Amino acid sequence: MMETGLVKLTVQGVMPDAIPNSDSQVVILQDENKAHTLPIWVGVAEGTAIRLAMEGVIPPRPLSHDLIRNLTEQLGLKISKVVVTDVKNTTYYASIYLSSKQSELTVDSRPSDAIALAVRTSSPIYVAQDVLDRLAPENVDPWLKMLGAKEFGGTV
Amino acid sequence: MLTQMHVRGLMFDPYTNAYIIILRDDSNAEMLPIWVGKPEASAISFAMEGVSTPRPMTHDLMKTMLDTADAKVISVVVTDLKENTYYARVHLLYEDSEYSIDARPSDAIALALRVKTPIFVNDDVIRKHSNEEMDRWLENLKPEDFGKFDA
Repeated sequence: MMETGLVKLTVQGVMPDAIPNSDSQVVILQDENKAHTLPIWVGVAEGTAIRLAMEGVIPPRPLSHDLIRNLTEQLGLKISKVVVTDVKNTTYYASIYLSSKQSELTVDSRPSDAIALAVRTSSPIYVAQDVLDRLAPENVDPWLKMLGAKEFGGTV
Repeated sequence: MLTQMHVRGLMFDPYTNAYIIILRDDSNAEMLPIWVGKPEASAISFAMEGVSTPRPMTHDLMKTMLDTADAKVISVVVTDLKENTYYARVHLLYEDSEYSIDARPSDAIALALRVKTPIFVNDDVIRKHSNEEMDRWLENLKPEDFGKFDA
């Protein structure tokens, strides 16, 4: 199930939540043909972590996800891909695939951390087809409209 | 020389709108405050209070990735203080080799609390901290602060 039925997505942008004063941001992911859109709600810190990497901002000191990237790079581990694997009660689940010399390892993660790492390491982001199938159109349509209406800064 | 320190507390600084991690040595002879942002402060406070979140937070992920790869954090060291910025290094053991990786003290401490490794501070940092604090205090002195005891 994991190897088949994955759809490759790229981050289109990080947007403020539609609800005023919300402490969430929304990461918008789309596939190549723009046939699928996946909005994922993340905290402001995680949203900022993703946006900074997309904009190519190099902070004076390594931020938390920069540190994780540096840790894995220095140990000779490679983030081969990240996968949004599941959604349960509006909580999304992700896995980070780490390859070492000997083996491939999988680590459970929030999608926000997985995406923040993927954009820093130019690793591909996938979502399980099953997750896309379960998306309610009413959750996606408003973001599609915003995507059409707004120019995003710093798309990958 | 390195001094081992422990996280003794976390305070909110209303003047800078930031949080302060208080590090102290065992004998309470030395104290080092480090200013951190809100997400870093909550990462540290979760670990101090043993709060487990339904989903792994960023530093939990950091720990799990290292655990999964069989990399061991040996220690974290606050190494330097330059222009009000603290520097730290995370020391790791992986496949019989040692690694030392540059980090912000906030990330290093958030990780150290989770993997239960000691936190060290370079004695130069403690010395420089006292000097910088003295400098700041002197800079902030206003003319009216002088001679206030005359009256």
